[in-house]
Amino acid sequence: MDMNEETSESRKLKCDDTSKCFQLLESILDGEIDNSKEVLKEKLAKCQPCFEHFHLEQAIRDVLKTRCTKQEVPTELADCIRQKIQEIK
Amino acid sequence: MSEVQRRKYSQEQKNAIFDGEFMPNIDSMYNFAYRLTFDEDDAKDLVQDTYLKAYRFINSFEQGTNAKAWLFRILKNSFINEYRKKSKQPAKVDYQEVETYYNSDDVDYQSTTDLRAESVKGMLGDEISNALNSLAVDFRTVIILCDLEGFTYEEMAKILDIPIGTVRSRLHRARNLLKDKLKGYAQHMGYDTDEEEN
Ligand SMILES: [Zn+2]
Repeated sequence: MDMNEETSESRKLKCDDTSKCFQLLESILDGEIDNSKEVLKEKLAKCQPCFEHFHLEQAIRDVLKTRCTKQEVPTELADCIRQKIQEIK
Repeated sequence: MSEVQRRKYSQEQKNAIFDGEFMPNIDSMYNFAYRLTFDEDDAKDLVQDTYLKAYRFINSFEQGTNAKAWLFRILKNSFINEYRKKSKQPAKVDYQEVETYYNSDDVDYQSTTDLRAESVKGMLGDEISNALNSLAVDFRTVIILCDLEGFTYEEMAKILDIPIGTVRSRLHRARNLLKDKLKGYAQHMGYDTDEEEN
């Protein structure tokens, strides 16, 4: 689903209830709401602040998930743990 | 961990759970530990302690439940009880940040019109990591659990021993703080923002 295809002309520039809308959008992005596609489509088509908030929040989650540098796990750690477990068995 | 230890699993079963369900999470565990301690040796100790405790209390682990969440909870508790005290990381700045936030009367949910999705998408991994690492530990933790490790609100509530409502609001605050950091980077690096350069 491409959220960008709607033109911004049809959207209202002020959100009726930022608190409620943004909390809902964030819960949807976090995967906490089932069957959210229709609700989302309608919201993003109608409200500019919701549209912008959604895309910013989505971008932040995306970069956190995909681009956050991962620390390499020291190779000896797993062996070290197994050895310690053997000792207490 | 307060559960009474029952003799539930045989030695073979213990080995199977440990190797099959606990050890495969070592990468995530180490990364969590490193982002909590910012120190390679502390992170190693923390992960090792967690696995030793996990083995010792293996009878209180219910097979079929989320082993990763169970392990993360042990790690988080070990960090709070043992490592936070001797942490090399000064906490002064963090507390100030937390306090400002908890005491602010701002409406909780508001638009951040001066940070654009496009400038966030253009940022490097190191910038994202640094922004995350600069958050106070409680805020950093919820973002790690949710966005890096993919836990649900319910799992996070169990790992952190807080209500789901608190998970949601802490996560929201954490992301707002992160946005402020990223906004700073965006302006500094000359990424496109809505704000006029001063
Ligand atoms: Zn709206």
